[in-house]
Amino acid sequence: MGVKGHPMTNGSRNSHNRKIRRTFNNIKITVLCGIVTILVLRGTVGLSTLLGLPSPSQQTDPAMLEDIDRILREIRSDSDPDSDPAVEYNSSLSNSTETVKTNYTLGLKVTNWDQHRRNWLSFNPGFSPDPNKPQILLVTGSTPNPCEQPIGDHYLLKAVKNKIDYARLHGIEIAYNMAHLDQEMSGYWTKLPLIRKLMLAHPEVEWIWWMDSDAIFTDMAFEIPMTRYDDHNLIIHGYHDLFFKQKSWIALNTGSFLLRNCQWSLDLLDTWALMGPRGATRNEAGKILTEYLEGRPDFEADDQSALIYILLSQKEKWIDKVYIESSYYLHGFWTGLVDKYEEMMEKYHPGLGDERWPFVTHFVGCKLCSSYADYPVERCITSMERAINFADNQVLQLYGFAHKGLESAKVKKIRRDTANPLEVKENLNLEASLSF
Amino acid sequence: MLERCIGERRIRQIQRATRNLKLTFLCLLLTLLVLRGTIGAGKYGTPQQDFIELRHRFISHPHRALAEEHQPEPKPKQSDKDDEPPLRSLNNPYSLGPKISDWDEQRINWVRRHPERPNFLTKTKPRVLLVTGSSPKPCENPVGDHYLLKSIKNKIDYCRVHNIEIFYNMALLDAEMAGFWAKLPLIRALLLAHPEVEFLWWMDSDAMFTDMAFELPWERYAPYNLVMHGWDEMVYKDKNWIGLNTGSFLLRNCQWSLDLLDVWAPMGPKGPVRTEAGKILTKTLKDRPVFEADDQSAMVYLLVTQKDKWADKVYLESAYYLHGYWGILVDRYEEMIENYHPGFGDHRWPLVTHFVGCKPCGKFGDYPVERCLKQMDRAFNFGDNQILQMYGFTHKSLGSRRVKRVRNETSNPLDVKDELGLLHPDFKAVQNRAS
Repeated sequence: MGVKGHPMTNGSRNSHNRKIRRTFNNIKITVLCGIVTILVLRGTVGLSTLLGLPSPSQQTDPAMLEDIDRILREIRSDSDPDSDPAVEYNSSLSNSTETVKTNYTLGLKVTNWDQHRRNWLSFNPGFSPDPNKPQILLVTGSTPNPCEQPIGDHYLLKAVKNKIDYARLHGIEIAYNMAHLDQEMSGYWTKLPLIRKLMLAHPEVEWIWWMDSDAIFTDMAFEIPMTRYDDHNLIIHGYHDLFFKQKSWIALNTGSFLLRNCQWSLDLLDTWALMGPRGATRNEAGKILTEYLEGRPDFEADDQSALIYILLSQKEKWIDKVYIESSYYLHGFWTGLVDKYEEMMEKYHPGLGDERWPFVTHFVGCKLCSSYADYPVERCITSMERAINFADNQVLQLYGFAHKGLESAKVKKIRRDTANPLEVKENLNLEASLSF
Repeated sequence: MLERCIGERRIRQIQRATRNLKLTFLCLLLTLLVLRGTIGAGKYGTPQQDFIELRHRFISHPHRALAEEHQPEPKPKQSDKDDEPPLRSLNNPYSLGPKISDWDEQRINWVRRHPERPNFLTKTKPRVLLVTGSSPKPCENPVGDHYLLKSIKNKIDYCRVHNIEIFYNMALLDAEMAGFWAKLPLIRALLLAHPEVEFLWWMDSDAMFTDMAFELPWERYAPYNLVMHGWDEMVYKDKNWIGLNTGSFLLRNCQWSLDLLDVWAPMGPKGPVRTEAGKILTKTLKDRPVFEADDQSAMVYLLVTQKDKWADKVYLESAYYLHGYWGILVDRYEEMIENYHPGFGDHRWPLVTHFVGCKPCGKFGDYPVERCLKQMDRAFNFGDNQILQMYGFTHKSLGSRRVKRVRNETSNPLDVKDELGLLHPDFKAVQNRAS
């Protein structure tokens, strides 16, 4: 009826505005209602169900987590602070972290230790070693504080069980250390004062066997051929060429080695310890080591590089009593071994100790206890679990059980129970003269 | 459109009314929420709890690796789930294994054939195997594994000083006997596989040695086959379910023990058997709460109902703390240090402090977590001090992980004797070597 242009445009603009306003109002109300609905639902069914996540309040009491938080904070505040120069029993080192310590010693010099030991043993026949079986003390340890990752503590526990099993089967004693005996010798250097202390306190022990907490026994039947080492005082895994020719910083591995309880060893420890004291000494020593050894990155002195350096630079003094063992895996680097366990179980048997059935699988670089590792955590965990179960199978088979798979914690019977268990035991072949 | 049906005025009225209703509804809800925030709404919680929950969810705590994302557990394979054993019915009796009737004879023959592994280390000291264990899965409590580690170190130390071997179990040998019953199939398997072991010493993972100098009085137990901490009166007269404790006990390796295990086991299998057995136990024993059958109550029941058969070979030890309930001991450590010395094993210096009910590995214990963990630290240090003193050190305090030197260095270390004589104690000397 009317002109369909002018009045319609005005009207359409008005209605357009009204529409926008209406939409805006609707959106506001929708949002408000949405919020209110969520809050009401939260009150009834709980936030977690709403978000589709497992409810923490059903699993762990938040109050308990607060408690554990508080305890962990307290524990960590009580731990030895790394930069604390005040050492209780040695006040002469009060401000010495800034200077290179030339007067550091592991303890008062002990001389004529061999004679002292012999005398003591003759007066204490109840403790004198069996000449056919020299007494070995396996020494290992870990930090007194909870690991930064709880899974680290879990694997420390499994690793110590693994060592308990091997030691029981071979008549070896274990000492597990959780104390920092010497503030200066922190980190990987803690083993030096510890080894020295144990040697001097236990003259009945012929060999101290240091083993890192991340080294796992994977051949339960293998017995160290001690007679091979009658003329040596230090047995360490390594490669001749890497050591003598290339002077590589990984030519030897101090994660698993044996040291005879004698004067020579005490002297070696004294020399070895000089690069250890933390602070300027260790940093300066690190520079010397990086320059001297092939492939060594730039970082403070570590015990392994320091030992290689000493044995190379003072060769005439030490090397004739050192046995660089490579015929079996006194230390076996894990990456090349862990995927082959099934193949080993198929083709070989325990007791070989070498690449066919490694004696020790050493998880260098995994560092599950701390939060910085050189390898992805998941890979380390799976591989460690496999190594531990691979070893555990060798123990469980004495009782007629085995793990369902190398990655499974569950076990299954592999031998039927009988009313004559000792007949079975006599016939069990563990490929070595095991005491059990 | 609607306008044409009802009329414009009506429409506007309806719109107004709807708007008012909406506003009223919204205000009501807001009031409720504000009230909830101030006085709380019972189980519906408060915004404060929401905040804590959100914080815990979105801010990762380094120690909260108990959450699934930090534990790449091997994916539970379907096959693992499939072989959960079917629950045993009540008329299908359980057996630990094929019946053995001549175990004493089998054992003697074996020991004779293997003189290199005698069952007695000296005339009086038997070969002992300490057995303990824990679950192969990481603890649900983020610090649980750390306390298990300290606990096993504590046992390693005691056993090294006392020449005792250790078996740490992490395998569930029989899925039916899960939980506290898992020790029975394990004990039987160990007894049969180790004829040279004279005594098996079971110890819970939450029990710690606090007297490193105390050697068990082995001669006292020569006529007995089972030694537990407890009181004759509380067991045989009162029928009290805590009249004895199976958290730390000695079992001789002999036919009698195999028979005892066979009679002890039937209440154990998971499911209706254990539940029904639990009811019988609660009815028969004094003060026992209602829950499924546990090995300790079953032992009391066994001794009470079959006293004539077993009691003469069972020794209930109360002269020292073969098991010491932690609640009455941990606050007295400083007093003990002041007034007594290691070697007593009793209330003056307990051999074992047992953290019953703490469950450091699990989620829920019967006691506040903080008290349990702090006291476990103290008990550990109390025992550890006795080991460290061998080497001239001690903890700075019972609550501290740090150590300090208490004995000066010397250039003649063999002239120094440790105060407690634990470095080379008499009970460790092996007399065979002397000859």
